[in-house]
Formats: sequence, structure tokens, C-alpha cells
Amino acid sequence: MAYSEKVVDHYNNPRNVGSMDKNDPNVGTGMVGAPECGDVMKLQIKVDPVSGIIEDAKFKTFGCGSAIASSSLATEWLKGKTVDQAMEIKNTEIVNELALPPVKVHCSVLAEDAIKAAITDYKKKAVAESVHA
Amino acid sequence: MDYYRVLGIDPKLQLNLNELQQLFYGRSRELHPDRFARAEASVREAALNESSLLNDAYRALKDPVQRAEYFLKNRGFDIGEQGTKDVPPQLLEEVFELNMALEELKSGDDSARPQLATARDQFAALLAQSDVELGQLFEAHDGQPGEAVLKQIRGLLNRRRYIQNLLRDVHGYLSN
Repeated sequence: MAYSEKVVDHYNNPRNVGSMDKNDPNVGTGMVGAPECGDVMKLQIKVDPVSGIIEDAKFKTFGCGSAIASSSLATEWLKGKTVDQAMEIKNTEIVNELALPPVKVHCSVLAEDAIKAAITDYKKKAVAESVHA
Repeated sequence: MDYYRVLGIDPKLQLNLNELQQLFYGRSRELHPDRFARAEASVREAALNESSLLNDAYRALKDPVQRAEYFLKNRGFDIGEQGTKDVPPQLLEEVFELNMALEELKSGDDSARPQLATARDQFAALLAQSDVELGQLFEAHDGQPGEAVLKQIRGLLNRRRYIQNLLRDVHGYLSN
């Protein structure tokens, strides 16, 4: 199956690969996976607690080209968005941007799940922080 | 559950493979097309369908993993759905770490080969271990059927799938 140019580009030059300290209260970590294809995806966001804006995003994905491209694209989109805006990112937008074929739609779902998981993790920490403060 | 019905057995997760084979041979003889050569077309066709179901049933049930998947599917679990549901975070962490270690070894030079071989043996051992655990869960479920055990089986199948993928990965890498 041929990958779209954009997928190939993200695959060859993935943006924002790496990791952040998951114990940092401003960092939210989302870890998701699809056992059927052996994929695991870790996506992290670093949020400015005052403005609620995502200042940095990192990912590391083990999986096919589409899974890597989906998460790479997601981190690009996340930066500069508020947490609430980030929550609005839909997998269909990723599908459109990367021209993913139907058999690879689940990769974009995985990326959306990772975003949501990272935000949930961040919010959970923020609540815990405010209780302690 | 049609696969069990066509073989004339109760839907259990633990099956004796020798008995299963005997049942399969017996039913195959009963459903053999020769016996229906003079039967009415509708009867002949029914026997043919049953016979094809029988073949599918035997192929699936003799393999513990396929059997478990069939069983779970019939109990309402969505097997084969490419989603993230039901994967415990712990397992994802474990698989992630294993992948990280594997990637590091692969990016090294040839000196990392022995470590990769060790990793391969480790994955193979994990796979063998999960097969043992699967057998234990089968036994537990047949003794006392319930949703909780089925969920555990589902989780184990996911874990097994991950390990299998890792094993295939390192295998492929080492044979290059």
C-alpha cells in the first residue's frame, strides 16, 4: 500500500520525538496502544499553568508509518493550543490532513485517544496540585 | 456457539486435542458427500454447509488462541476491533519499555547482536509463559464461568499479541 506524501514526510522526519518528565506537574502523559497491530503510542504535553496553553508536545510511537505520522502531526497541532482547544482535535482531521486510507483510520483514532489521555492526565495532576496548595 | 455444536461438544475453553480430532474425524465421515449422493438436493446442500462449518470449527478450536477469540466474540467481546479499549496501562508501559530497549539495541552496531538474541529468548519465554497462563485461565473459567475470567483472558490475549509482535520484530532483525 502506498503512503501519502505527508505520511512519508512525517515518517522520515518525525516532529517532536522525545519525552518529558512525567512527574512534572505541568506535563500530561498519554499512553495508548492497539494490540492487534502491536502499536504503542506515548504522547506528552507541557502546559503553562497560568494561560492553559500547551507550550510543548512530544511523542514516541512504535508502530506503522501511519501511526507515527498521526502522532507526529498531533504534536505539531497541539503546540500553541489551549487544553480545551486541544480536546477538540478530531481523528477525522488527522485522516484528512494525512490522506489516510480506511484501513489506517484506526491510527488516527489512536492519536486522538493519546491526546485525550494526555490532557486527562494533566488535568488530574492539576486538580491534585490545587488540593495540595 | 456453532463451532461447538457442529462437533457435538459443550462450549468449554479447555479441550482435549486428541478427543477433538476423533470427534472431527467421526463427524467428517457422517457428513461426507458420498453418503448424500442420492439424497435430495436440499439435504445434500445442508450436509455440505455443515461439513464446511465443521472444517472451520476444527481449525479454530484446535488452536487455543483462536478458540479463546471465538469464545470471547460469542460472549460479546469485540475481538479484532482495532481500538485501544481494555489495554491496561501497565501492559502499555511494559510493551513501551521493551520496544525502547529493542530500538536501542537495533540502532547499535553488530556488538549488540548477542543482546538481541537474549531479548529474543526473553520474548519467546514470555510467550510460552502466557500460553501456560492461558491454560490456567481456561481451567478457571470452565470450573466457574464468568465475565471476570473472560476479561482476564482478553487481557492476556492482548499481551500475547504484543509479545508475538516483538518476537517477530527481533526475529526479522536478527535474520537479516
